[in-house]
Amino acid sequence: MRLRWLGAKALGALVTLVFVLVFNFFLFRVMGDPTAQLARLPRAGPEEIVKLRAYYGLDKPLLGQFADYAQDTARFDFGISQRSRRNVSTELGDAIPWTLLLIGTGTLTATLLGTWLGVIAATRRGTAADDGLLGFSLFTYAAPEYWIGIILILLFAVALPLFPAGQQLTPGADFSSGFAKAADVAEHMVLPVAALTLMLLGQYFVIMRSSMVDVLTEDFVTVKRATGMPWNRVVRRHAVPNALLPLVTLAALQFGAVAGGVITIETIFSWPGLGELTYNAINDKDFPVLQGTFLVFSVAVIVANLIADALYFVLDPRVQSA
Amino acid sequence: MRARGVVALVLAIACALAAAGTASAQGAKKVLRLGQPQEPQTLSPFIDQDEEDFRVWSINYKLLVDFSPKDLGPVPGLAKSWTISPDKKTVTFKLFDGAKWSDGQPITSKDVKYSLETFAPNSLLFGSYVENVSAVETPDPMTVIIKTKRPDARIVGGLFAYILPEHIWGKVPVKKLTGSYKPPVPIVGSGPFVVTQFQHGRIIRMSRNRYFRGPKPKFDEVQWIKYGTNDAVERALSLGEIDIIPEVQEAAYARLGKTKNIKAISSASPSFTQLAFNLCSKQNCPDAKFNPAVQDRTVRQAIAYAVDRKRINQIASRGTAFEGHGLLPQFYKSFYSVPADDYPLDAAKANQMLDAAGWKRGDGGVRAKGGDKLSFDLFVRSESPQTVQAARLVSEMTKPIGVDFKVQIVSTDKLTEITTRKVKGKIAPDFDTFIWGWGGDPYDPGLLLNLLTTKAIGESSDAFYSNPEYDRLYDEQSGEFDQAKRKQIVSRMIAISQRDLPYLVLTVDPTLQAYRTDKLSGVTRSCPQPTGDITCDQVTGATFVSMGPATKAAGGGGGDSGGSGLMIVLIVLAALIVIGVVLVLVRRRRAGREAIELER
Repeated sequence: MRLRWLGAKALGALVTLVFVLVFNFFLFRVMGDPTAQLARLPRAGPEEIVKLRAYYGLDKPLLGQFADYAQDTARFDFGISQRSRRNVSTELGDAIPWTLLLIGTGTLTATLLGTWLGVIAATRRGTAADDGLLGFSLFTYAAPEYWIGIILILLFAVALPLFPAGQQLTPGADFSSGFAKAADVAEHMVLPVAALTLMLLGQYFVIMRSSMVDVLTEDFVTVKRATGMPWNRVVRRHAVPNALLPLVTLAALQFGAVAGGVITIETIFSWPGLGELTYNAINDKDFPVLQGTFLVFSVAVIVANLIADALYFVLDPRVQSA
Repeated sequence: MRARGVVALVLAIACALAAAGTASAQGAKKVLRLGQPQEPQTLSPFIDQDEEDFRVWSINYKLLVDFSPKDLGPVPGLAKSWTISPDKKTVTFKLFDGAKWSDGQPITSKDVKYSLETFAPNSLLFGSYVENVSAVETPDPMTVIIKTKRPDARIVGGLFAYILPEHIWGKVPVKKLTGSYKPPVPIVGSGPFVVTQFQHGRIIRMSRNRYFRGPKPKFDEVQWIKYGTNDAVERALSLGEIDIIPEVQEAAYARLGKTKNIKAISSASPSFTQLAFNLCSKQNCPDAKFNPAVQDRTVRQAIAYAVDRKRINQIASRGTAFEGHGLLPQFYKSFYSVPADDYPLDAAKANQMLDAAGWKRGDGGVRAKGGDKLSFDLFVRSESPQTVQAARLVSEMTKPIGVDFKVQIVSTDKLTEITTRKVKGKIAPDFDTFIWGWGGDPYDPGLLLNLLTTKAIGESSDAFYSNPEYDRLYDEQSGEFDQAKRKQIVSRMIAISQRDLPYLVLTVDPTLQAYRTDKLSGVTRSCPQPTGDITCDQVTGATFVSMGPATKAAGGGGGDSGGSGLMIVLIVLAALIVIGVVLVLVRRRRAGREAIELER
């Protein structure tokens, strides 16, 4: 029963993945003949067009092209970037760690901070602290990420030049050690991570707060309190773990939104991750790269959803028995 | 006790990180930093086409004959002198003795031969410069003889094909060079600086070429930093992280100019924006689709009198561009003069001309004659907001004279399709008018003049203009090595094109740049002096030699703004942790007491 449920979820993910692969192939071919765009030569002569069509395999029938594409994708060969002439997999490989660093740090900070503030607000329900925190988090939740990013830059890089406004390392700096380099990266991370944190914080806060408010009115909390257990311990040991459940899935499910937001944040802060790569590929009409980033983002969201399902399965006994 | 330990550890890490952060940015080198949103593709002149590539190449390589920063005219490059044969079909160049590549190898005629015979014809962008070359002879290592099929003045002053080291590029098969080949770093060159590092996505470093034949550059290193977006580049200049932006956006130009320690400059470039008319004849384009009224010269001239080019510059280009005066921008100092027929704003004259030609006002004030109506499609590219604005202004300005322009905003791909449409193998353009632009070479006006020749139909011509007299003069000027004589012929061509108006040049596009006045010295506006830009953008590396660091701000460093910031954050974090730990300890004690009391 349990395995069947999990298996069905995995199958669903697989079907979605196949759909994404097919969609990814046709998406970039419904926009007419891509040769002119691929060549970045809108006025290329007929001979050059024939040469380029053969070079990119566009002279084959569509099904043949799809077979090539499927084979190449299975080998992680996404073709060559039109702009840099590097392998798309190399471009992706260079960008992914920076994005993971940004998303990882931002999500972690937002989760911890959102949870903590959510607990504080729920346990002080109706007080000025609760109102203030709720107002603040709803504001950051509603504010567009590009606006948050620009405001952070204006405040902390231009008006008060405490942090670098962009990039991941000081341009042209030579680093004496790996430690110095890490410090430089840390310094450059402060503002983009802060922007990502502010973008995500609100949702974690609101979910945690309402979840905690529900849990705190449950009978077992009153019973624990009646046994004389100190309030802090009731909250920490009994209320928080029960209230965390919706948050766990939120973290995984929110990945899609994070991926969207990270494109904007990376672009604003010139952070050399997948987001900036996507933005530049759109500007340059670099379709092989665009196809690669689209695939990576889609796969990441599918996998994150699958993980959310699996986590829920492990954490919530009601799902297991259903 | 444990809490104190945690605090001490956090503080120690904070201090170490902050110290490391600031220490790393120190350096004694004199570095010139330029910022741009994008980076070059691969830096291979065989396949790359972007302006970011040209910026680097123009410093990395010298040409056989260089462009003078003074007026862009021909000056010795790798060749110290040249002689032209009486029939003007043979030019003999003498190379500088003892000149060396940046790797110490001698620069010889073999390199020139390789570059003109193998590199240029196989490259994506440099082939047209050698299309007339019939032979490159190298009687000795210091002599190059270039023979052409017909006299070609571009051989001196317009041979814009870089001379590459044969001992490096010649080892690689052409097939590979035109594929996905990336040149190894350092990129051996002959210019004042050569590329010594290309860190993809971040930075290109160019170090001083110790074998450079010429004055010693004042900087040790030139860095091209990629910022991803224009906003980020502009911020970097405001914050002093970079010294120059080689290409500023129109929207930011005025703002940057008002910023302390920053100077923004606008100079005429070799590019223009034109209102083009479809003049394709029945014979050349039997299946073309257009309103025949567009081919009435009086109508085009009347439109030219009604269009206020100054206002278009003020509104659409925010005053950063220059009013157009015919086909050649004022950038071409050696060949430019204001044409006699310059069409100053005169709506009354426009009305008179149309009245006299029998165009009568009809429905909605739009003029008509016979079955033809002065109502035209005006295509413009959605990617270019300023030309969309210009199109709307043209439409508004010509309404009072009874000419109706219907502005059609389309993508670049769509407009390309419309202008290059073919039916049964013959050109069949599907438009009345459009607004787009062209850019020319640094010195030689040939590329722009060619746009209106008959032989360009089916290639670069997009007005499909054809005039035998213009074609004859084109051939004559392209073989004239004497600049003064050539200027006279060019002026006659401009006069013809102004009379027939296949193009109404609206504005000359600007090169907008900005630089830090507190960080640079020896900045001169060149290419051409004194109205050009400060880097001779994409043309020559000469200004990179004359520019130097400001005496006060000399030295490398830079980008050291953040160390203190990190320190502050870590100290605040540490303080928060201390407060947190103290609070927890206090509460625990209280809670403990409370619990005991309750248990009683």
